[in-house]
Amino acid sequence: MPASISKKGLALSFLLSDNRPGFVSPGASDFVYKPIINGIEFTTKPILLIFFSVFLISAFFIFSSRRALVVPTKLQFAGESIYSFVRNDIGKDVIGHDFQKFVPFLFAIFTFVLTNNLFGIIPLIQFPTMSHIGFPVALTLFVYFVFHTVAIKKHGLLKYLKDMMFMPGIPKVMYIILAPLEFATYFLIRPLTLAMRLFGNMFAGHLLLILFTLGGEYMLHNVLLLKFMSVFSFGFAIGFTFFEFFVQCLQAYIFTLLSALYIAGALADEH
Amino acid sequence: MKNEENAFWSIFGYLLSGLLFWGGAGWLLDKWTGKNFFILPGLLIGIGVAFYLVWLRFGKE
Repeated sequence: MPASISKKGLALSFLLSDNRPGFVSPGASDFVYKPIINGIEFTTKPILLIFFSVFLISAFFIFSSRRALVVPTKLQFAGESIYSFVRNDIGKDVIGHDFQKFVPFLFAIFTFVLTNNLFGIIPLIQFPTMSHIGFPVALTLFVYFVFHTVAIKKHGLLKYLKDMMFMPGIPKVMYIILAPLEFATYFLIRPLTLAMRLFGNMFAGHLLLILFTLGGEYMLHNVLLLKFMSVFSFGFAIGFTFFEFFVQCLQAYIFTLLSALYIAGALADEH
Repeated sequence: MKNEENAFWSIFGYLLSGLLFWGGAGWLLDKWTGKNFFILPGLLIGIGVAFYLVWLRFGKE
């Protein structure tokens, strides 16, 4: 450092920088977990969390419904509220007439996605399972299979495709351009957006939380000015945790809602 | 909220599939002919048709 700027420069460097290596920002590699038991592939944290969520959901609803009373206990009330929310607000409202047989499916999807999303902000677990693309894709495959099967069973394959691709009341020439679009929307875009939306929201949310927490931690161990700034970073991390809670519930709801809408569309007499 | 949610994602789906399908067709034609001509008309047709579909589904009433 030249002598002329040394004093000011020193003061500045005390405030703003030091010789530590720069901040390494979190990325996709933070989502990769090694197997907990060496050599057994499926003992990674996300997979164990999936099993844990199934256990949690089963335990919660078994206990909340075991001795069902006319005047419900708190636990029974909580369980029944979630059930009636899915049954009435999603199933009945969206699917209508034949909704009852789809309620178990929708209910399973909703509780499963919700629990696994909420893992993202539960202390000590802190990982939203759905931020691994494989899990939303698997769920989407179920939905995909269900709504196409329902439609084919109800209308038959040919009529289903015809209703889907050839909307009445359009000049015949337009069908050449329109039909493939409708087809692509039903068979490609719908499952793609369904899986990507859930995955993207959980991935991005978790990344933000890691970023603000690690960033705050880095600044806390840095020069004085950054020590003060770290307060804001930690503040953001806490704020985003609440925001994440909202996003996690919303995404579970949207995933279930869209599944119901697709089933409703499959059951409808005309598109 | 359910209807808006439905409409929003249907519209988004149409726009996306319009671009992907007809843009993709244009891109494939370009690949096949070795020119760089068809992808833009493909994308334009795709987005135009997607808007037309959205209008048919949601704008007519």
